Amino acid sequence: MQILFYISKRVLQTIPLLILVSMISFFIIRLSPVDPLAELKLNPSISKETLKLEQQRMGLDKPLPIQYLLWAKSFIKGDLGVTTTGEKVSVKLAERIPNTLLLTIVVIFLTWSVGVPLGVLAAVKWKTPFDRFLTVITSIGMAIPSFFFAILMLIFAVKSGWFPVGGLTSYNYDEMNFIQKFFDIAHHLFLPVTVLFTLSLAGLQRQMRANLLDVLDSDYVKFARAKGLSENKVIFKHALRNAVNPMITLLGFEFSSLLSGAALTEFVFQYPGLGRLILEAVLKSDINLVMASLMIGAIMLVLGNLIADILLILTDPRIRAKA
Amino acid sequence: MKQKIYIIFIIIFLIFFLKACIKRDVPEEEKIKQNVVRSETNFTFPSEQKNVTLNGVDYLQSQASIGKFGGELIESTIGEGPKTFNPFTSKDATSSSMSGLMFDSLFTTSPKDGQIVPKLAKSYKTKDGKTYIVNLRHGIKWSDGKPITADDVVFTWNEIILAGLGNTSTRDAVMIDGKLPKVEKIDDYTVKFSIIKPFSPFLRLMASQIAPKHIFEPITKQGAKAFDMFYSTNTPPEKFVTSGAFRLKEYKAAQRVVFERNPNYYIINTENKQLPYLNKLVYLIVGDLNNEILKFEGHEIDVISLRGSNVAPYKLKEANSDYKIYNLGPDTGTMFLAINLNTRKNSDGEYYVNPEKQFWFRDKNFRTAIDYALDRKNMVQNIANGLAKPLFTAESLNSIFLNKNIKGHERNLLKSKELLQKSGFRLNSNKNLYDKFGERVEFDLYTNAGNTEREAIGVMVKQDLEDLGMRVNYKPIEFNTLVNKMTTTFDWDMIIMGLTGSPLEPHDGKNVWHSDGSLHLFNQRTEISKIDNRLPFEKKLDEIFDSAALKTNFSERKKLYDEYQKIIYDEKPIIYLYSPIRIVALRKKFKNIYPSQLSGITYNIEEIYEDNN
Repeated sequence: MQILFYISKRVLQTIPLLILVSMISFFIIRLSPVDPLAELKLNPSISKETLKLEQQRMGLDKPLPIQYLLWAKSFIKGDLGVTTTGEKVSVKLAERIPNTLLLTIVVIFLTWSVGVPLGVLAAVKWKTPFDRFLTVITSIGMAIPSFFFAILMLIFAVKSGWFPVGGLTSYNYDEMNFIQKFFDIAHHLFLPVTVLFTLSLAGLQRQMRANLLDVLDSDYVKFARAKGLSENKVIFKHALRNAVNPMITLLGFEFSSLLSGAALTEFVFQYPGLGRLILEAVLKSDINLVMASLMIGAIMLVLGNLIADILLILTDPRIRAKA
Repeated sequence: MKQKIYIIFIIIFLIFFLKACIKRDVPEEEKIKQNVVRSETNFTFPSEQKNVTLNGVDYLQSQASIGKFGGELIESTIGEGPKTFNPFTSKDATSSSMSGLMFDSLFTTSPKDGQIVPKLAKSYKTKDGKTYIVNLRHGIKWSDGKPITADDVVFTWNEIILAGLGNTSTRDAVMIDGKLPKVEKIDDYTVKFSIIKPFSPFLRLMASQIAPKHIFEPITKQGAKAFDMFYSTNTPPEKFVTSGAFRLKEYKAAQRVVFERNPNYYIINTENKQLPYLNKLVYLIVGDLNNEILKFEGHEIDVISLRGSNVAPYKLKEANSDYKIYNLGPDTGTMFLAINLNTRKNSDGEYYVNPEKQFWFRDKNFRTAIDYALDRKNMVQNIANGLAKPLFTAESLNSIFLNKNIKGHERNLLKSKELLQKSGFRLNSNKNLYDKFGERVEFDLYTNAGNTEREAIGVMVKQDLEDLGMRVNYKPIEFNTLVNKMTTTFDWDMIIMGLTGSPLEPHDGKNVWHSDGSLHLFNQRTEISKIDNRLPFEKKLDEIFDSAALKTNFSERKKLYDEYQKIIYDEKPIIYLYSPIRIVALRKKFKNIYPSQLSGITYNIEEIYEDNN
């Protein structure tokens, strides 16, 4: 009961936050000197009448606050509006979201299932050659900018001919059977997943290692050891459970990056996900599309934090007492 | 000891590493490029496609050599891909070209000489240039089996184009003195178009694509909104009823568009077999140029437009590769330097352009001096990598209306200085230029940031003009801001821009050259100040553009358009710089390739076939 009350309180708190976010983003986009009609204006064969019609269609002839209110009204109703080219925003997003989710979920699954154990291992084997080796590897992973690594991978794909140059499916994907389809997608996903995996693995592994080292140094672990508990019990029953809190918060952030976290890599690999769509939308000041994606981003972030907090309440009695 | 070994290792590593960085000098690079630019692919176009009647069906017979059926061609399109497959609502080039594959137009342009040749229609006749009788083909069908008749043509014109649905640019263009053309059905296969007076661009506009009435009619009745959404990219492929050589098979957002051959197409080969040869035509949607190049290298696409520094390496590898390089000649795009001759005031009573600057910019000697100070050869060499030609005319170099008597000139600083002196400009001891009122000659030069080519031109123009003692404040700014300056606020001095024109129809440039045009850059008027104090040469341009459109005889029109190009060249409100050359690489396995300056390389997609031997 208490937890339900807590959740509803948190949800209510996010409403003013979302309003503020939407206002700031709307006005910043609209006040930027980007004119969605610039291309048309420079086309000698487009008449003034056509330009005026376009302006009306996009609602650019109304004052800014009215434009915002119109947008907000339809947003609340669940209508995301149309893009500058007249396509439904919801349809455009729906085309891309599954692709982005496919990529990010694979990456998050891999990084967590590899990163956390590696972090624990590195902490347990602190200052051994194994730990040092992992430190070097992860430092490299953290140091390489994602777009650069992605470009290197693309060049590798071209030179070796082992991997397709970006994209998600081959052009004859429709004629494949299920197994071929699966391998086709896996083949295309390999490089972008490698890039994202290497980069986020580094951070996660370091984080886990640091947390666990912190806890391993504390008095109650020393006491547990002095009591004669087996090392396994000390680490997995006592230390790990206490070291996991920051990881849960991190998981909340991972949730929010489900849709937006891979944008750069997506762009380099020409991956048909949200990143490319939003980037082009921002460049063209396609307001409805940009707003929809920003709002989704904001909602995902709030939601991710909420989930993390709830998980913390469930796992940590200290926080439960306070909440 | 150990340390020494380490150091030696590192040094050896560095030596190898740096060795790899040394670029071999390729002295031939320039020569290769020049060869590509000069090379004209030697071939003769096959004779024009002929109308042939077989079993009561009016086919169009391709005269190209007979090929093999099957195979697929993979092209690419840069950007976000098509926005719609409806040819009547498309506003961007990608959407238009893709809907163009599916919906044939009544007539098309001959790749050889730009003349109008039949496509979906069989022929046309006109006596006075005011009424056109168009004959349609008997027995040809939409992809759902319904015949293509005069009803479809009349419907398309009256209910879509003239009704102002979708993209209204055709409607705007066929409006003559505020009157729209009349389109009537004479019989099932004959349509009459009538306009109030002869208007030569009309013929090309009349060639518009045709929609199937039985599919589009329910939609047009629902109004503009429904029409804008119709045949969008989300429409299932089997819903399309089309007339073109290919029909949609699959569209995957941000990935690809796949077309398959239309088995009932009305173009046949000389063995009377129905074309196209290719089974599939695929467009991969790629985000940028670099990715396109990688995809070509990775053999994922078959055609690529080569730019700048890529040409020489591709040419070097051509002999041992599976592609061939074609020179398509000068592009329709032009690069120019526009000078703001505006002397009007804005709504706050302030001049758009400072009065002292107005005095310079309105001075023909000043503008001519600038023209003579520009080193076009240097720009072509260093910016366009030699893949361009200096340009002096307002019409692009591949235009059928190009005034070939305008030969242009070399850079001539002495002449520039003379001209400036004549107008009372003086250099002081520091070689700074002052006008006769003692004002320092200093102005802003804008271009759009992000376009590396234009940015580089700006730097060169600045340097060239500084040789005359002018101070040029060069400011690359964001594209949209620049367009706003050009079309709304008019507060600029000089701008480097490019516009695409039509090599076939100079009248398309009316919005730029007519004094009340919406893109009359160099002396833009607002809605209120419609046609006020026209410059003498503006008056002449207005007359030329008004009268040339009414002439239907090519040589009469040519004369007038020659004159307009001469006026621009003499008066120099816009100074043309160069025209890029298009170089394309295409895999050798494709045959029946006849590159054309006017139409590109895969315009005859139904005749192209794949030959793997």
